[in-house]
Amino acid sequence: MKLSPLDARPSKNLVYVLPALLIYFALVMGPIIAAVGISLTQWNGIAWPDWVGFGNYIKLFSDDIFYVSLKNNAIFLIFYCAIPISSGIVLASIVWRFRQKEQLALRTLLFLPYIMPTAVLGIIWHWLYNPAFGPFNQALKLAGLGKYALPWLGDFTFVLPAVGMVASWYFFGFCMVLFLSGMQRIEPSLFEAAKVDGAKGPRTFFFITLPLLLPEIRIALLLTIIQSIKSFDLIFTMTRGGPSNATLVPNLYMYQLGFQLNRYGYGAAVAIVGAVLVFIVNYAVHRLVRPVGGKGTS
Amino acid sequence: MSGGLSLSRTVWPTRIIMWSFALVTVVPFGLLILTSLKSRPDLMQGAFVLPEYPHFENYASAWVDGHFSVYFLNSVLIVFPVVIVSIFLGTLSGFAFAFLSLPFKRFLFALLAFGMMVPVEAFIIPLYYEMRYTGLINTYAALILPQIALSIPFATIFMASAMEQLPKDILEAAVLDGATRAYVLRRVIVPLMLPAMSTLGVFLFIWTWNEFLIPLILVNDDSYRTLPIGMLFFQGRYTVNTPVLTAGAVIVIAPLVVIYMVFQRKFISGLTAGATK
Repeated sequence: MKLSPLDARPSKNLVYVLPALLIYFALVMGPIIAAVGISLTQWNGIAWPDWVGFGNYIKLFSDDIFYVSLKNNAIFLIFYCAIPISSGIVLASIVWRFRQKEQLALRTLLFLPYIMPTAVLGIIWHWLYNPAFGPFNQALKLAGLGKYALPWLGDFTFVLPAVGMVASWYFFGFCMVLFLSGMQRIEPSLFEAAKVDGAKGPRTFFFITLPLLLPEIRIALLLTIIQSIKSFDLIFTMTRGGPSNATLVPNLYMYQLGFQLNRYGYGAAVAIVGAVLVFIVNYAVHRLVRPVGGKGTS
Repeated sequence: MSGGLSLSRTVWPTRIIMWSFALVTVVPFGLLILTSLKSRPDLMQGAFVLPEYPHFENYASAWVDGHFSVYFLNSVLIVFPVVIVSIFLGTLSGFAFAFLSLPFKRFLFALLAFGMMVPVEAFIIPLYYEMRYTGLINTYAALILPQIALSIPFATIFMASAMEQLPKDILEAAVLDGATRAYVLRRVIVPLMLPAMSTLGVFLFIWTWNEFLIPLILVNDDSYRTLPIGMLFFQGRYTVNTPVLTAGAVIVIAPLVVIYMVFQRKFISGLTAGATK
């Protein structure tokens, strides 16, 4: 059966996909399979790897540093996910009432960080947070809050929120723009009806805006959670995971193990666990956050 | 949208909230540009004080002494092949997935979607050794080829779903006229796909320009470093010379801001498409 007027024998069709698939298999699928293989060995990168089966994974479950990195990642979820999404929804429902031009201007500005390289933003914020001459602490001093001018990135307690706030700053505008495009899909008559029925702002928000934005909330959740599990650039350029592992996340741990300590097998196991986490989150969000009306059950 | 009319009486407190959020977003970039125009004595006057006159020489010293000319050229030399080849391959394979029957089609499609979800960090170790064994470490190929491979799933899925929107009768008419497949693709489909291809191009440009891990791991020779990596090593060398460091940061992000301003609509419209990456 022909799929389209252009269809021919499968062997003749292959020509169109082979170049792309060859590159993809050589440089993505192959390395993914190899990573699983390496994670089952002990390998210093030079000698022939020693097969250890699930040894690395078993070791991982009693590795305190790995647990620290997981715990940090869990806390980062607040900053990558909860803060940007909640503030994004609130801001979108505010800016939605603005005139078109003002809306466009705000949208343009708030989206700006999202197009930037997070590595460079990390370097910029590293400078902004500088304890001695960084603008952040200078602003605190000018505001008379000099006693709060801490060495943010060197402080064991505050480094994680300090890095996390940069992630929130990076994502909240993106979330707002995403939710704003979702709100424009909602029938304006719904809001009118709610108004006629005497529903006040918060009620309208919780009973109309929020449920109808579920598709966008799902996208935002998926994206920000996955980005937090993948987080490397921003934290690497700001703190390298320090001080004393206070901002270490699994991917940074993988980098240290592999490329600094030459424990490639163990590092690969950490990386694989990270990838599995991404899949679990993906599956969970797809299952748990379903748009109202049963659409998009995929 | 139309519903805004009855609600257009904007209340001042909400405007103040919105614009202060906008300010929080923009102030770091403003400070960046301000600092990049200061001399080092100016810097001692405080972060929020204007310099007596703009010191554009910071840009010159970032460009020349800071090797940003090298990094910039490398970024350009990598971005364009990646974007062009990825769009080309993505159009071919997207065409196949949209219109042609293939062996194991659903499985192949699932593999592409799978690869899109796996973070690069998960397979950077084998990728590094693959590049080492093939002798590609410290070449442009080490930066271009993996980046193309990483772009293929998104490019394919994006192009396939764009092509599926095409009305089938256009293709039928072309085939009835006796045109070959390659001809239909080149002369009928591609011209209609140009908007989708340029949206894809903008996304691939940003992702490649911003890529950090691949150039960090697969290249250690300074003459092959791209802008984000060059910036990192520059920070290591010149951490005290803040004006030149900030000038370098402006050099990295300026092209992105220009592209953002030119292609604004594409960003917003393609946002949900790109969000799943």
